[in-house]
Amino acid sequence: MAIKQKSRQKKFDTRIDFTPMVDMNMLLITFFMLCTTMIKSQTLQIALPTNEKVEKEQQNKVKQSEAVTIIIDGKLDDKGLSDPNEGMLYYYDGMPETDKLATTGESNMKQIEFGAKTGGAYPAIREILQERNKEVCLKIADLKKEWKEMKFSKDEEKNDSIYQEKAKAIRNDSTLKRPVVIIKATPNASYAHVVSVLDEMQINNISRYQIDRINEVDSAMMILLQGQNLKK
Amino acid sequence: MGKVKIKKKETRIDMTAMSDVTVLLLTFFMLTSTFLQKEPVTVITPPSVSEEKVPDANLVSILVSQEGKVFLEVLGSKDSTMKSETVRADLLKNMVAEYKKTHPSANLAFTNKEIETFAKLNAFGVPIRNMKEWLNLEPDQRDKWLEGKDNPGIPINMNEDPNNPNEFQMWIRAAYNSLNPELQEAMVKGRGIAIKADQATPYSVVNVVMDNLQTMKMNKFTLMTALKTEEE
Repeated sequence: MAIKQKSRQKKFDTRIDFTPMVDMNMLLITFFMLCTTMIKSQTLQIALPTNEKVEKEQQNKVKQSEAVTIIIDGKLDDKGLSDPNEGMLYYYDGMPETDKLATTGESNMKQIEFGAKTGGAYPAIREILQERNKEVCLKIADLKKEWKEMKFSKDEEKNDSIYQEKAKAIRNDSTLKRPVVIIKATPNASYAHVVSVLDEMQINNISRYQIDRINEVDSAMMILLQGQNLKK
Repeated sequence: MGKVKIKKKETRIDMTAMSDVTVLLLTFFMLTSTFLQKEPVTVITPPSVSEEKVPDANLVSILVSQEGKVFLEVLGSKDSTMKSETVRADLLKNMVAEYKKTHPSANLAFTNKEIETFAKLNAFGVPIRNMKEWLNLEPDQRDKWLEGKDNPGIPINMNEDPNNPNEFQMWIRAAYNSLNPELQEAMVKGRGIAIKADQATPYSVVNVVMDNLQTMKMNKFTLMTALKTEEE
């Protein structure tokens, strides 16, 4: 019997080992993950008053009853930096009482600690601002409830835009009692504090606020208040 | 006798699926990523609730270091008509013209090659006198010089006279007058200028920059902040 000669064909493995490929891909992914910025910075828009000298008569004086002045103060360390966790906040309603200051040495300025000890910079002034902007805040709160229940529109985007528009109208409604906040900062105040106070304006729906320069009366009142607190 | 056959297990895992996933991820990261731009100083921006995103085109950002050194970054439009490079090249030419207004005797001229180098740089901040020398340095030397202690940044001071601008004001003016009408519009509206400063910077430092902008009647601008989530 003849032995049938089998032509043996070598079987090739068609599978390719993908492990090195995966290794390389992982490496590339890691590289891209580390080199990218996924979160973009946010911006806060502000408008400052002009620097030009305005005639006294032309200045539109802020109504006394509506004005709140906030003064931000901080502490510098040896490197000349201001710690964002520490600070003091001074505030007064209306005009500074200069006559009273000159005769009795008392002022209508009040002081609050403003830093990590009191639970961050924020609770300190929120109450004060909310109290003064009560009418607007209440209306916005009502509006927010309606927004959450999707009352304006079934469509989420439309609901949002209607809400934003209505909220803006309330914030700028001149029939309501709204405060005008004047923000001042001493040279030692940290930038973070200034931004956090500007932030409070947004949170508390205050549409009228401005940044101003600190003047002599303000600093005199601050020094006086600090002196009085030391005596106590 | 029946032999108990031990099933031979394949130890190799099929990596094809894994490879598929990694390639997909890689594609995602490659397409969504914008690379971190190298900045001469690292700053941690203060947190804010503002949700407005930083525009990624037509923007002049003013980078303020903790010591008050000022650097500028100029971005052109997104499409190819007014690329960042075109705008920056024009910016430098404008700056020379601007500088010669107040310093007619200054010997200030840049070669095309120097202008080209300048156009490719993301951030700059050296006095204009040293600009030529700085542009002719090797790239790594250039970065070192920019970050170095001897570099004063763009010269800036408290200046309220718009007719006698300091170098910072000249740069801003030059950017405003550059070829790009979109940038000009953005600067007028306040979206085109952003101040980027560290949260621990004393307010006095930031105030100098703000005051300079005010002098130039650019009262509207934005502050760069990081997102903070507000619990309600």
